[in-house]
Amino acid sequence: MTNPQTPTDTVITLSSVTKRFGATTALNGASIEVKRGEIVVLLGLSGSGKSTLLRHVDGLEQPTDGSIQVLGENVAGLSGRPLRALRSKVGFIFQQFELVPSLSVLENVLTGALATLRGPRLGLWSYGRANKLAALGHLDRVGLLDRAYQRADTLSGGQQQRVAIARALMQNPEILLADEPVASLDPESSDQVMALIREIALDRGLTVLCSLHQVDLALSWADRIVGLRHGEVVLDTTTVGLTKAQVMEIYGRVATTTRELQAIEAELLADTIADSVR
Amino acid sequence: MSTATRTSSHSRAGHRSGSREPSGHQTPPGSVAERAPRRRISPERIAAGITLLALLAASIVALDNIGIDPAKMARSWSNAERFFTRVGAISFPEPGELLYLTGLTLGLVICGTLLAAVISVPVAYLAASNTTPGNGWRAFARFFGVLTRAIPDVVFAMVFVLIFSLGALPGILAIGIHSIGMISKMFADAIEQIDEGPRLAIRAGGGSKLQEFTAGVLPQVMPSWVATVLHRNDINLRGSVILGYVGVVGLGMQMSFAFKSLDYGLGLGFALVIFVLCVVMEVVSSAVRAAMLGIQPTGRGLGDRMLRGLRRIRPGSARLGVRAAAASPAAMLHRPWNSARVRNTVWGWIAAAVVVGSILICNIQWGDLVTVWAKVPAIAVQFWPPSFGSYEASTMFDAMGETIAIALAATLLTAIVSIVVGSLAARNVAPNSEVRGGMRLLLVVVRGIPEIILAIVLIVISGLGTQAGTIALAIGGVGLLGKLLADSFEEVKAGPERALTAAGASRLQVYAGATVPQGLRAMIGHTFYMIDCNIRSATLLGIVGAGGVGYYLLNASQGSHYGVVTAIVLMILVTVLLVEGLAIWMRRVFR
Repeated sequence: MTNPQTPTDTVITLSSVTKRFGATTALNGASIEVKRGEIVVLLGLSGSGKSTLLRHVDGLEQPTDGSIQVLGENVAGLSGRPLRALRSKVGFIFQQFELVPSLSVLENVLTGALATLRGPRLGLWSYGRANKLAALGHLDRVGLLDRAYQRADTLSGGQQQRVAIARALMQNPEILLADEPVASLDPESSDQVMALIREIALDRGLTVLCSLHQVDLALSWADRIVGLRHGEVVLDTTTVGLTKAQVMEIYGRVATTTRELQAIEAELLADTIADSVR
Repeated sequence: MSTATRTSSHSRAGHRSGSREPSGHQTPPGSVAERAPRRRISPERIAAGITLLALLAASIVALDNIGIDPAKMARSWSNAERFFTRVGAISFPEPGELLYLTGLTLGLVICGTLLAAVISVPVAYLAASNTTPGNGWRAFARFFGVLTRAIPDVVFAMVFVLIFSLGALPGILAIGIHSIGMISKMFADAIEQIDEGPRLAIRAGGGSKLQEFTAGVLPQVMPSWVATVLHRNDINLRGSVILGYVGVVGLGMQMSFAFKSLDYGLGLGFALVIFVLCVVMEVVSSAVRAAMLGIQPTGRGLGDRMLRGLRRIRPGSARLGVRAAAASPAAMLHRPWNSARVRNTVWGWIAAAVVVGSILICNIQWGDLVTVWAKVPAIAVQFWPPSFGSYEASTMFDAMGETIAIALAATLLTAIVSIVVGSLAARNVAPNSEVRGGMRLLLVVVRGIPEIILAIVLIVISGLGTQAGTIALAIGGVGLLGKLLADSFEEVKAGPERALTAAGASRLQVYAGATVPQGLRAMIGHTFYMIDCNIRSATLLGIVGAGGVGYYLLNASQGSHYGVVTAIVLMILVTVLLVEGLAIWMRRVFR
């Protein structure tokens, strides 16, 4: 809570975090450090604990064991107003976008400002002119200004995810968490969204922690890759000079069951075919 | 058919023995009959089945005891003819007075429903599993809802008429409190069905609990909430008639005066006005639901069809509205006035005008709400302790029994008619669209008739008591149960029906083999809901002289024997809660 922040400080620290849901262990002694301004990808098969890890960073889950420091705060010990204040500094982008379908695009973006406002808000007018202008600016940034007054559910998936990014920007975040942000999108919108996140992160010096399952994308997009398996960190390396075969090799070495190996083989094969077609 | 069965069983067997050796599975020894698993039925299901049969038997006995005799009915029909020649023409009050009374009744009902809607929001918040702060709060909110639902609005009205000086306030409060039960339950159900994602996103952005609710939950449940309130408003309008008998102002009160002074022509005139008003309201609320909320019209209701004729705006036209060039954020600061916004604003102002008009016409004595508390202790004392006063306990229990018998008999009649009418009103069962349309129209008209009006008219015409009440409830029930059954039948999966048709089954065989089995659970659930409703309605029938405990309730109230009122209300409460518990159990077992 009292850690002084220097320009190159560590903004996210997970120290041997374990999370159990009943009999299943989602995270098993996972430790990660992320420096300010880093763009890190969490790589892993589904069920490897990527989402759970991200949710811990935003205080949406409490760890069974271990400690989590985010922006100098001990997340596990926070609740109420201090927790909400911390959350407002951490933007979260979901796989399913999670916009309120019946509200306008603009009002969805405005909900990002709720943490800075007191009490409930109903309707566009209740957010005030300054917030509206800021929200419109963020919509302009993601290229959807002309859709401001449309209902959110009339937009395509890629557009909805861009609105969700604008909503996260409305929080003026220092950290951006993204949980499989392009898993529900077609390849073209997927490229668009990933490029947008990286551009915005570099512009604003945001720290990004993003979960993905596409090795290719992770290699070309991230500064660093953290591999998860069964809730354990099995890989933590910068992407400079790292080849895909090396990543897959590390993956393959840690896969224990036949089914996992098969899944990785299938993924490799599919990617190779895709490469050769390209 | 037989090849299809063989292939499917074959492939399933192949799966189980591993896909590597599809043809290698071995047949265990013994005949098919020996190997077939025994059918297991849980004891709870048996108990529920027996209860169901017992209820059916009780209903048949009740129907037999009430003795709805066609011959007697026919005789009383000649009574009716003589009656009409004696009464002469149906007459109406002055147009100005009629207009005022209609406005007053509508305003009172709307105010009451809105009051219930406002109170229901926190109750539903506490009662919904995903928003409640704790299980204790949840249990409290649910119990509060059940209690308000179980006590008839007439009882609330009696009490409030006593407390307040004459005016609209007793009616508003009676409707308002009684409606909390249903509205808060539907509100809570809607909250439990939301997509949790948007709410999680608000929480992840640092929103408070209250902000999560207003920004993440409220926009999602609003359409369903408004539909619930409109639906309840229709019910309350029909129910407002009976409130007139215990002194709540409006059309119902004038009608009761007319009948008491034996001015049958005028009474029937009021009855006719109320009936028309109810049907019109049903149509209007259906249209409002579709137009204001952008809910995709189901295309089923009469209102929907009328609306489609009136308005040629296709759903989705709203999205084409915004196409203005977006130069800068500042230029986009104001929402453009496209057709969708104009329409929403107009509807919003109309709704606001209706609400303000309702409050104004009711001429509420707000001061009463403050001064009344001084009177409450003195009145509360009169209601306690409960006693049967000068009545024998057995008389009262018999009366309650009669009420239950009316409800059961009416439900049986309703169920029989509803299965026929409801099936024919379902798109996938009706032989053609004309039959379906006709049945749907019939259901809307029947639903619009307040049961009490029906009972009064039947009593006035035929002079029968219990029978008239039973028939009134039975007919009124068809409007509700028929619609629910038709909707349930239309919601079944079309696949099995197509499969049976493809296998050469006749229309009736498809109905019996695919449609009914899929809709059976809903049928049982809806029928129990019907019993539930009928018990409540039957307690009130006595107030207009159609048999049962309601007669004693009105007598006790008018004779100021408030201890007796309490005793009867407690009896009704226990019965309603028992039936409700039974219904919950049935729905759980036959899931």
